[in-house]
Amino acid sequence: MDAENTFETVHLLLEDWAERFETPDPTRLEVYMKHVDDLVPAVVGLRVKKLGYLAAIVGLDPGADTEELEILYHFCTQDLMIILRFRVPKTDASVSSLCDIVPSAESFERELCEMYGITIVGLRNPGHLYLPDDWKEGVYPLRKGVDPRIAFQNN
Amino acid sequence: MEEIIERKPFEVTVGPQHPALKEPGNFQFTVDGEIVTNAAVRLGYAHRGIEKAAEERNWIQNIYLVERICGICSHIHATAYCLAVEHLANIQAPPRAQAIRVLVSELERIHSHLLWIGVAAHEAGFDTLFMYSWRDRETIMDILEKLTGNRVNYSTNLLGGVKIDVDGEHKTGILKGLDILEERTKHYLNIVTTDAFFLQRTRGVGTMTQRQAEVMGAVGPTARASGVARDVRIESPYGAYDEFRPNLIIEQAGDLEARFIVRVKELFESYRLVREILDRLPEGELSVRMPRRIKPAEYAMRVEAPRGELFYFVKSNGTDKPERVKVRTPTICNMTTVVKLVVGHQLADVPLILAGIDPCFSCNDRMVIVRDNRKIETIESRR
Amino acid sequence: MEILLDFLRLLIFPGGLFLLLAGLLYEWADRKLLAQLQNRIGPRWFQPIADIMKLMGKEEVIPDGSNKRLFVWLPIAALAGGLTAALYVPIMGIKPAFNFTGDLIVTLYLLSLLTLCMGLAGSNTMDRFSMLGATRTFTQLFSYEAPFMLALLGPALVAGSWQIDKITAYTESHWLIFTQPIGFVVVIIGLMGKLELPPFDAPEAETEIVAGALTEYSGRGLALFRLGKGVEMVIGLTLVAAFYLGGVSNPVLFLVKTLALLVVVAVLQAVLSRLRIDQTVGIWWRYGALLVLVQWLFMFLGQRLTL
Repeated sequence: MDAENTFETVHLLLEDWAERFETPDPTRLEVYMKHVDDLVPAVVGLRVKKLGYLAAIVGLDPGADTEELEILYHFCTQDLMIILRFRVPKTDASVSSLCDIVPSAESFERELCEMYGITIVGLRNPGHLYLPDDWKEGVYPLRKGVDPRIAFQNN
Repeated sequence: MEEIIERKPFEVTVGPQHPALKEPGNFQFTVDGEIVTNAAVRLGYAHRGIEKAAEERNWIQNIYLVERICGICSHIHATAYCLAVEHLANIQAPPRAQAIRVLVSELERIHSHLLWIGVAAHEAGFDTLFMYSWRDRETIMDILEKLTGNRVNYSTNLLGGVKIDVDGEHKTGILKGLDILEERTKHYLNIVTTDAFFLQRTRGVGTMTQRQAEVMGAVGPTARASGVARDVRIESPYGAYDEFRPNLIIEQAGDLEARFIVRVKELFESYRLVREILDRLPEGELSVRMPRRIKPAEYAMRVEAPRGELFYFVKSNGTDKPERVKVRTPTICNMTTVVKLVVGHQLADVPLILAGIDPCFSCNDRMVIVRDNRKIETIESRR
Repeated sequence: MEILLDFLRLLIFPGGLFLLLAGLLYEWADRKLLAQLQNRIGPRWFQPIADIMKLMGKEEVIPDGSNKRLFVWLPIAALAGGLTAALYVPIMGIKPAFNFTGDLIVTLYLLSLLTLCMGLAGSNTMDRFSMLGATRTFTQLFSYEAPFMLALLGPALVAGSWQIDKITAYTESHWLIFTQPIGFVVVIIGLMGKLELPPFDAPEAETEIVAGALTEYSGRGLALFRLGKGVEMVIGLTLVAAFYLGGVSNPVLFLVKTLALLVVVAVLQAVLSRLRIDQTVGIWWRYGALLVLVQWLFMFLGQRLTL
């Protein structure tokens, strides 16, 4: 399937759940999704149509003074990339786990969870992946404005 | 009165210090006799907070930072980063620079695979193969030292091009070294496919079907050994790979033997590519100017590291420092396969199954907590 | 006077001190040969001696949960077993200090005592790696013991005696390597199993279970075990040389023959990769035992035919 066909299929699949579609490059399709609850059905749809494997989950913090975090799910097939973009509120950020559909998502989600403080609902091994076990609760290193050193201040 | 003795499962912890691991990682295996019944992994022993650190360094400083994520794949990390940043700035490095980047990438791949053959043989208890392949690894390291000035961690990338040039003397040296290595590699291919004792340890061990590999998200030679046709250099060529095309090396068996064969055959493919590049190296400059500040944009770059697909996400915000750098290394994808595959195998096969994915824990982890008696510092504050 | 000479023979030469030194020098020869085969340089001649001296000087750490007395006495028992076995074996071509009917069996069992002590030392330690190593040591002991012993008893049968020096008197004129070639192959491989040399080093597979049964040993205990292993190597090589390679009647022949055997053993070590413990057991019980029985069959037929 070439770029046009693939992106066409993605359009049709996700148009109910997407706010807008953007193609900054001929090989990249950015899908700005309306609501984070649509994650699982969207991914199921992509998998069923064999529209790419999950390459990475990237967390973004637009700034220390903003209210929302962004999560990007990158699906790659051949030389094309389909990126699903979701926004979650910083306080009480939560998203469903993909590990039932895509087992490799588990490690990515664990990292997202501990680095950004996003609760992944349905994660089988919710423990830390990279951070030490005695890391201070509530300190999310990759959020903007967070200095990881405060995790050690009371030691 | 009978006492009910609770049968607790016998747990063998491998790591963080263990002779089988060249880098620290923690694996918890539950065994019944010699058979593994459950496995869990815990990483982070070499985590250095690189993604956070990258946000506080400028674009050029970050090249040096990402080079040090890993010793064996340092060049490919820097290449991915530079390609991504160049895309953000809408700059293309000149053809000669792209070709030299690919040349060093392939030489690095050769080095990595030779190192891996030795390490995997050592895990199997075949020390002689370990010693021989590491002796040959000296040849490639000497080549790289003459070319780049260092045996490991070559630091050839600049934003906008490369620092080093390839002249006639380099060319003859490389070609001579490759001839020696090719002879030796033929011998290794013979060993991994015909040595009876070695095959007993690798044939039919750690088998992963194509379906399993696809579902579990395996990448790189591990996936190609199970019949999954995934190679970023071929499906999404970057840099000079559309000029110098590699062939897809794929095996169907999916066991450890297949993983050995795929990597050895990739060595031959790399030798061929290096010779081709040296033959048709384009003329031209080595680098172009890059702006100091880069306007806001995002890009995701995929490259083929020796271990599999390496994913870089870079976001700029108009300043001279990146907004976000995300590194997703191949080993984290393949680690899931280890944890699922070892169940049902004997404990003796575990080091070999782990070595089969060519794990690079340094690539994975990106936090060193430096404690001295008086205060606690992180690597952050040591700038 | 006799008693003094006896003491000298027991404690200094050819038993005791000399034997310990010989064990270490043979260990060096093995490591050096292996290194050269692997395109390396290898250690200098005094390396094993230096290792032992260093270990003797180190602090011995007794892990929690293990029986202290056993922990300390097992290495001593192991070395004692090895040294006692040497009393009946013609080291350096000199007639053994003691001999009696059946001393071959006693020697073999004293050598097994050494392996047994190592296995017990592993099970005594409350550590997952040592316990796994101990299990493997015992498993390996049970598998190679039968074929190895049968292969050594083959010469005893044709010599018509269970006494080592009577057997060597017979083998000096009959080179059994030619008349019992299968037995020779089995005994060499059995020796490698006994000494836990690759490919049969699953009990101390460094990349899997750290150091097997001896993982928690350090200092004096480890030194004694290593000395025991060296002594075991010398005795094993002597027995094989004496039985199959035409006896060891003088020191020069002793050195030449045992070192020749060591070269064969080193080559096998370099060329073969480690076997899993289940594969080792499989090989022993399937091929080892079978080959030895075939050998014995030929021997019996041979005796029948010549009668």
